Amino acid sequence: MLSFIAKRLLSGVITIWFIATATFFAMHAVPGDPLTQEKAMTPAVRAQLEARYGLDKPLFDQYRLFLGNMLKGDFGISFTQENRRVNDIIREHFPISAILGIAAVLIALVGGIAAGSVAAYCRNRWPDRLVMVAVIAAISVPGFVIAGLAQLVIVAMNNAAGKTLLPVAGWGSVSQIWVPALVLGLGTMAYLSRIMRASMLEVLSADFNVAAKAKGVHGWRLFFHHQLRNAVLPVVTELGPTIAAITTGGFVVELIFAIPGLGRYFVQAVQQLDYTVIMGTTVFYGAFLVLVVVLVDISYGLIDPRIRLHRGRS
Amino acid sequence: MSLLNLESLQVSIGSVQAVRDVSLSLQAGECRALVGESGCGKSVTAMSLLGLMPGAAKTTAQQWQFAGRDMTQLTERDWRQLRGNQIAMIFQNPMTALDPTQTIGAQIAEPLRIHKGMSRRDAKMRAIALLERLAIANPAQRAEQYPFEFSGGMLQRAMIAMAVVCEPELLIADEPTTALDVTVQAEVLCLLQEMRESSGTAMLFITHDLGVVAEIADSVSVMYAGQTVESGSLNQVFSTEAHPYTQALKRAVPSLENPRPLEAIAGTPPDLRKPPTGCGFAARCSQRMAVCEQAPPPMPVGEHHLARCWLWHEDHPQRWREKEGFTKTSVIGSSRS
Repeated sequence: MLSFIAKRLLSGVITIWFIATATFFAMHAVPGDPLTQEKAMTPAVRAQLEARYGLDKPLFDQYRLFLGNMLKGDFGISFTQENRRVNDIIREHFPISAILGIAAVLIALVGGIAAGSVAAYCRNRWPDRLVMVAVIAAISVPGFVIAGLAQLVIVAMNNAAGKTLLPVAGWGSVSQIWVPALVLGLGTMAYLSRIMRASMLEVLSADFNVAAKAKGVHGWRLFFHHQLRNAVLPVVTELGPTIAAITTGGFVVELIFAIPGLGRYFVQAVQQLDYTVIMGTTVFYGAFLVLVVVLVDISYGLIDPRIRLHRGRS
Repeated sequence: MSLLNLESLQVSIGSVQAVRDVSLSLQAGECRALVGESGCGKSVTAMSLLGLMPGAAKTTAQQWQFAGRDMTQLTERDWRQLRGNQIAMIFQNPMTALDPTQTIGAQIAEPLRIHKGMSRRDAKMRAIALLERLAIANPAQRAEQYPFEFSGGMLQRAMIAMAVVCEPELLIADEPTTALDVTVQAEVLCLLQEMRESSGTAMLFITHDLGVVAEIADSVSVMYAGQTVESGSLNQVFSTEAHPYTQALKRAVPSLENPRPLEAIAGTPPDLRKPPTGCGFAARCSQRMAVCEQAPPPMPVGEHHLARCWLWHEDHPQRWREKEGFTKTSVIGSSRS
């Protein structure tokens, strides 16, 4: 088990190096640089700034410098946010994105498993049809439309009630988390419920399910002990990519709900060619995803003993 | 009083009349074999006996008593208390019938936890003891393992343990040896027999293997196209097979003493979506008569020996001759000598 984790982490490091290198050179291949602004600056000022940020050095030296700093865990200073260190930007804003993302993943996971199971139990009857129509709607309508609709509904509700039942946007209270989290997780929830329905249908017709019933197992015990554990693996498999999509894709929802998450900086940095912030956020998200995927891989073994890599209690 | 008395069970699933008329009776401790080819309704009968047919299936019976209870009146709640407790089942394929994500020990202990309210520890101890009785080495260690770590024969033993752990009054074994190697089959049969004898459990043994029947059963019911066509004691059914289908089945089994070419039964079973109005076997029967257009009721062949065939009607010329003292130039004899 340990050697497995070590191997996965090592390959993760290589992945991150690759991501960093590819991003670095792609970024520099884009015409312009962080100092390109509408207002032209004098060549003297420009040369001074370039010297300060190390942009006057050959590209490969810049790359070496960046790698060295990255290994020390330092991503430098932002070009556009005056004197803010990239590390600070990540430290301040990522937790917000993470809370939103975790809430969204949890909602998607629980909702998807529940909806998929209900659909499978009621196969071809109205609850199944209802879930499947909702799934298609949730997958095909883009997040920003749903976000806007959700805000309209909240506003209408608040107006009808004559007081603020739910805040429309902003960040800080619990009631400000779950609406954007639901919006953010809705597409994933729909996707997961489809997978869950298919795999639950398989379990429901499996021999061991009938055999468990023949032992007198029923109700929630049957569901949690025998059906869920067997049916949930394909959903867990999707969890890695799902967490990736939700945490990095939260940008639009963050923007609409005025949530000060990291997504905004990520996108702004690309628009403004803020080299250090681009590199910092990209490498950070890359590392985060590699870690999540390893964790998901380890969790398989907890769910399905056949995937457990070593006997021995890990 | 018999443990199970089932008369004229009918099960239809949508337009398929999977079981058209099955009657079974079992005494306490008796082992009855239910024999028939694939698709004749054996497994549906077994599932119905456990109340496990899906909601879409329609089940009726003229009479259905088990341990003195009227089974047609049971609620789902009653059924749950019965399943795994008084009636248990051994499934055909142990590789798929055990939950891959639970340890063997937990799965064997589960009925005890549900029905006997035992603590996790006590139930596990009992499971381990049972595994030991079933000749599994290192039972305590084995109980912690998962189905994928067991061989087929060991899995079937675990399956048997799971079924007998609550000491049920009726054990339904649905082709318990079909999925196993021949060498393991005998071993599993022996264990089943042992378990049955030590606990006095009655068993309904579903199979299409006549050799196994001869080894384990006290009595036999033969099924064809959703009906029991013949039933009687092992001796009766094996020495005077009365129904032409039973005769044909026996001719399809190789014999060491009396080597002869095997005979397949010509034709195919009837489509149970549109079952024939007359005898279900008539289309494939070599002794077909005009009267076979009408459905035969079960007719007595001997004491407790019934055959659903017009050949055994008291108006059949053969029966006349027997009555008047003619020697038996038996309809069966012609096929055997």
